[in-house]
Amino acid sequence: MRHLLLAASFAAGAAIAQPPPAAPEAPEVQQATLSSTAERVYDHAKPRIVQIRTLLQAAGRQSSLGSGFLVSDDGYAVTNYHVVSRFALDPRTYRLEYLAPDGAKGPLQLLAIDVAHDLAVVKMERGDLPFFQFDARALGSRLPKGERIYAMGNPLDLGFTIIEGTYNGLVDKSYDERIHFSGAINPGMSGGPVTGGDGRIVGVNVAKRLDGEQVGFLVPARYAAALVEQARKGPVLVVDKAREEVGRQLDAWQSSFYEALKAGGFRGASFGPYRGLESAAPWVTCWASTNADQLPRPRTAVNTTRCTSATGIFVSDRILTGRVDFSYSYYQAIDLNAFQFAKELSQRSGGPGIDPRGGKRLTAQECRDDFVATSEATRPPLRATWCMRAYREFEGLYDATLLVLTQDRDREALLAQLTMQGVSHANAVALGRRFIEAIEWRR
Amino acid sequence: MAAMMWVEVLARDGEVRSRERIDSPEARIGRAFDNDVVVDDPHVAPHHLRIFRGEDGELVAEDLGTLNGLYAEHGAARTARLSLRGEPGLRIGRTIVRVHDGAHAVAAEKPLTPPRAHLRWDLVLSLGLFLLILLLNWLNLTTEPNANVVLVPMIGLAVALAAWTGLWAVLSRIFFGQAQFALHLRIAVTACIAIVLWDLLTETLSFSFAWRTIADHAALGAWAILGATCYAHLAAIGPRHLKLVVSVVLALVTSGAALQAVSRAESREAMGQRATLGDLRPPAFRAVPLATTDEFFREAADTRARVDRARTKEPPPGGPLGEID
Repeated sequence: MRHLLLAASFAAGAAIAQPPPAAPEAPEVQQATLSSTAERVYDHAKPRIVQIRTLLQAAGRQSSLGSGFLVSDDGYAVTNYHVVSRFALDPRTYRLEYLAPDGAKGPLQLLAIDVAHDLAVVKMERGDLPFFQFDARALGSRLPKGERIYAMGNPLDLGFTIIEGTYNGLVDKSYDERIHFSGAINPGMSGGPVTGGDGRIVGVNVAKRLDGEQVGFLVPARYAAALVEQARKGPVLVVDKAREEVGRQLDAWQSSFYEALKAGGFRGASFGPYRGLESAAPWVTCWASTNADQLPRPRTAVNTTRCTSATGIFVSDRILTGRVDFSYSYYQAIDLNAFQFAKELSQRSGGPGIDPRGGKRLTAQECRDDFVATSEATRPPLRATWCMRAYREFEGLYDATLLVLTQDRDREALLAQLTMQGVSHANAVALGRRFIEAIEWRR
Repeated sequence: MAAMMWVEVLARDGEVRSRERIDSPEARIGRAFDNDVVVDDPHVAPHHLRIFRGEDGELVAEDLGTLNGLYAEHGAARTARLSLRGEPGLRIGRTIVRVHDGAHAVAAEKPLTPPRAHLRWDLVLSLGLFLLILLLNWLNLTTEPNANVVLVPMIGLAVALAAWTGLWAVLSRIFFGQAQFALHLRIAVTACIAIVLWDLLTETLSFSFAWRTIADHAALGAWAILGATCYAHLAAIGPRHLKLVVSVVLALVTSGAALQAVSRAESREAMGQRATLGDLRPPAFRAVPLATTDEFFREAADTRARVDRARTKEPPPGGPLGEID
């Protein structure tokens, strides 16, 4: 479930700068009658929208593109955090620049970021441009479902564009508030405004579902309004300290997320004769799968349940964090002996794997194995593996995996995995302990 | 009888090229054909040497006034007369000559291995290896049984064994004169069994003690087995400079092991550890007591310490461009 709409990458930007000349164009297209509202909205919005470019400091060339919109007469503009993330994390390598619709260019100052809601406030040294107002109904979440709304931005660097779509309320089963927008959102539009028919801001373009059609997501306007307010009041973000601020916000996010997970409650769930723990939070969704219908006939029956919070916080290119997964696979040997069954379970992990390799932003993964048992009689002995890797730039944040296999039967077992991304050690251990202590045998 | 002596002329490789029995109390050695022993060496004088018995019956060599002179076999100093009591060898020109008294003591008779004596043992070993592989294949079989799955590794192993043994047999034939195929095969099969068992043992211990390090370092043991195997093959061939050859081969094996260990350690640092349970065995193979959850998480905090160390070990983020300012 990838929600992120990345700003056009450097390579893609280069590729799309020159569209293929032989683009099929129907010669006699009937003059489409654009809705007059859209025309009006576009005319109103055009001078208020800017393209936000991240340039390589050394080369002076664009490395990623996004959109933004003005919200004050003294040059404050809102965009996505992910549009400015390269600059925020590596201010010595990158710089920010805006391109106004009148062709004017200039430097941008980064004033505030909200990593959890993927927002940023930037400021340009210009005071002569008109600006957007926030929609009071949107700030109070009183917009009716089905209302026509208009997303704007610069998709794939093709030029300023308006897309008419439908407001579909907040996404159900989502921890982070997101507006479901039925309309096409494309790379490059990130950070662009979405307005109602009266040209007032309803939300900010942020992401789309890759596995659906015309399923876009917007950040509700009230978070943007709040961040602008915060940027005005100060203190202003010190660019060299932006990384610390990102770390601080990620830590704050995970701490309230795990609070909410706890508040959402947990419930027992049965997997064959075993029981385990599932989150009862409404935004944790579960899916089941089986190998019973496979051919050739499997020699081990596997029934898997995977629950995920589907949360995704964009940190930097290719790093999406903040997800928690509960996975349970119940294995039952059909005609395997104990050794063969153990072999079948060997090297398996119960859920989504975390890439163990180290990189620029994450350390290599380290693991520890042991045999564990809780004191109660109904708790089976367990083989457990605990793995962690650290975020290099954000002290105290980790990805943690707990993998547990029951050791009470020769030919059946429950393989359970808890995966936590972007979590503090204390929260990881607390949930891990809860997870491991909930596994029991009931028949 | 007591007057009898033997004169051996050695080839350059140390083998005896010719051996003459001398029944007279004195023997003359040289390139001329009126000598008792004729030596084909341009650096030897026509009449080079006289061997006779000294006062107390010991054999003595005497230079007959030559250009290149007389030396003890391993000696560096030219000498006119050389007593052959302790060391029977001497050097004239580029030729080694050894003179033995008829009373010279020889080593006791070595027991002879009757032909095919080890055949049964060989068969048992080979059969054991193949049964072992078959058994392990079966224990690791988690899909439907399939002839290919079983036979292909067996055939592969047989071919590899034949190639390995063939190589050593050829070396043996060159340096020892006999191929000793059966002996080399026995060594190779034993080595295979040792490696398979070692693998099995380390994987099992790694599970039983919940200790990845054992499996991670199992390769060192395999290298040791390879070293021992090469030593056994070499000892069977018995080259002249056994010690030297063995040290060269062992050095090669050791550096191979060291190289692999270093590259493993490096890739381990970059690749990290995968969140899997490793090679599992049935639960009964557990050898350590069960930890409590408290103990488990206390021990597991060690992973945090390790990744925190790795986190600070890297150069500060910002990339190389950040350093230009």
